[in-house]
Amino acid sequence: MRLLRHAATIAAKDVRAEIRAKHALATLLPFAATLLVSFGFAFGPGRDVLLRTAPGLLWMAVLFAAVIAARRAYQIESEDGALEGLLLAPIDKAAVFLGKAAAVALQLLMLVACALVLVVVLFDLTVRGPLVLAAAFGLGAVGLAAVGGLFGVLAEAARTREALFPTLVLPLVTPVLVAGVRATDLAATGRTDEAIAWLGLLVAFDVVFVSLGVLVFGFLMED
Amino acid sequence: MHDLHEKHARSAVTAVELNAVTRLFGANPALVRADVRVAPGEVVVLRGPNGAGKTTVLRIMATALSPTYGHGSVLGFDLVRERDAIRRHTDLMSHRTRLYEDLSAAENLRFWCRLLGVDGADIQAALDRVGLLEVAGERVRGFSQGMRQRVAVARTLLRRPQILLLDEPYTGLDAEAHHAVDDLIREASRDGRAVVVATHHTMQRGLADRVLFMDGGRIVREGEP
Repeated sequence: MRLLRHAATIAAKDVRAEIRAKHALATLLPFAATLLVSFGFAFGPGRDVLLRTAPGLLWMAVLFAAVIAARRAYQIESEDGALEGLLLAPIDKAAVFLGKAAAVALQLLMLVACALVLVVVLFDLTVRGPLVLAAAFGLGAVGLAAVGGLFGVLAEAARTREALFPTLVLPLVTPVLVAGVRATDLAATGRTDEAIAWLGLLVAFDVVFVSLGVLVFGFLMED
Repeated sequence: MHDLHEKHARSAVTAVELNAVTRLFGANPALVRADVRVAPGEVVVLRGPNGAGKTTVLRIMATALSPTYGHGSVLGFDLVRERDAIRRHTDLMSHRTRLYEDLSAAENLRFWCRLLGVDGADIQAALDRVGLLEVAGERVRGFSQGMRQRVAVARTLLRRPQILLLDEPYTGLDAEAHHAVDDLIREASRDGRAVVVATHHTMQRGLADRVLFMDGGRIVREGEP
């Protein structure tokens, strides 16, 4: 219970700081919007092409936004030495991982909601399986946030952190990208039964990386 | 507190003890065979040029760093094997104040109180003591270094750690913040809590009990303040 209470305290602090700094609003949303609009123009007005590429573009926007959000989550800890404060606080360090991951996942879900509206409007996407779509993005956000939360702290210690973080994270989240795109495509076309296997992959990914984070995060933080 | 009472029986004379502690960063020694003993209520000052190893001593005592060789204890707890117990009773305060720019002073303190297991009911009183009650609701982003340091002092006042470790606590402070740090040290010592301060600044007369002079990672001599 104490672990979850501390995690909630850290997540609430991160969300509050992000709302005040308007970082997500100022960086993530324009980034996602630019990506979707520019690819929309690049592919031309053919409706079939746009519909076929929409799930992939949507997940690309979420993926890169996740990298930015997770980096930012640790950047605010480094600005004035707060990360060392978290290390020296008498808490289970897994609470830091869970809190950070929860805050990043929440930001991603807010971004997904906005990006979905854009895709529906720009690409004329019709969603025939909204529950599958919601599950895909919910599970995907958790998986991306878990990987970002885990490797963010490792990258924070490195001098080449800006390059190191995406290099570590992007290859690892490929299963989320593939399963997310496939599940979104199937949700859009109404073939929801076929999406179960992809959702299962997302669940497995989340279980593995959330568990890994809870188990090893303390060791990554320590000297 | 039960664990603390138990250990106190073993460490009635020594609050902090380092025995031949060496710390290497790669192949470079930051600290070489340091022996330090600090009694409860004692105020010990570490002096020396930049790179002398003062911060390394404090960070090892706070368990932010582990010794490469040697061993030591804080309140009877082993520096490596019982880090969590040490962290419950130790506070390391430096010129990096561990505050979040987009939270207010009061929100910052509330956050740390929740994580440190400290009662947050006295936050307003603590901010009042350091002269920041009027700006308690303002974001730290607009604070000067001196004001930030006073918020950090308020956090330590709320926590009342058994071992207080201060790393260059006077850096960039105005007179008011300087006094707040001095009061913090005086109060801790009066309550029988051990204080170790690394500083280049001359401390107020009567505040320190002992000075350890460091150079090149070694404690080269001990003297009166």
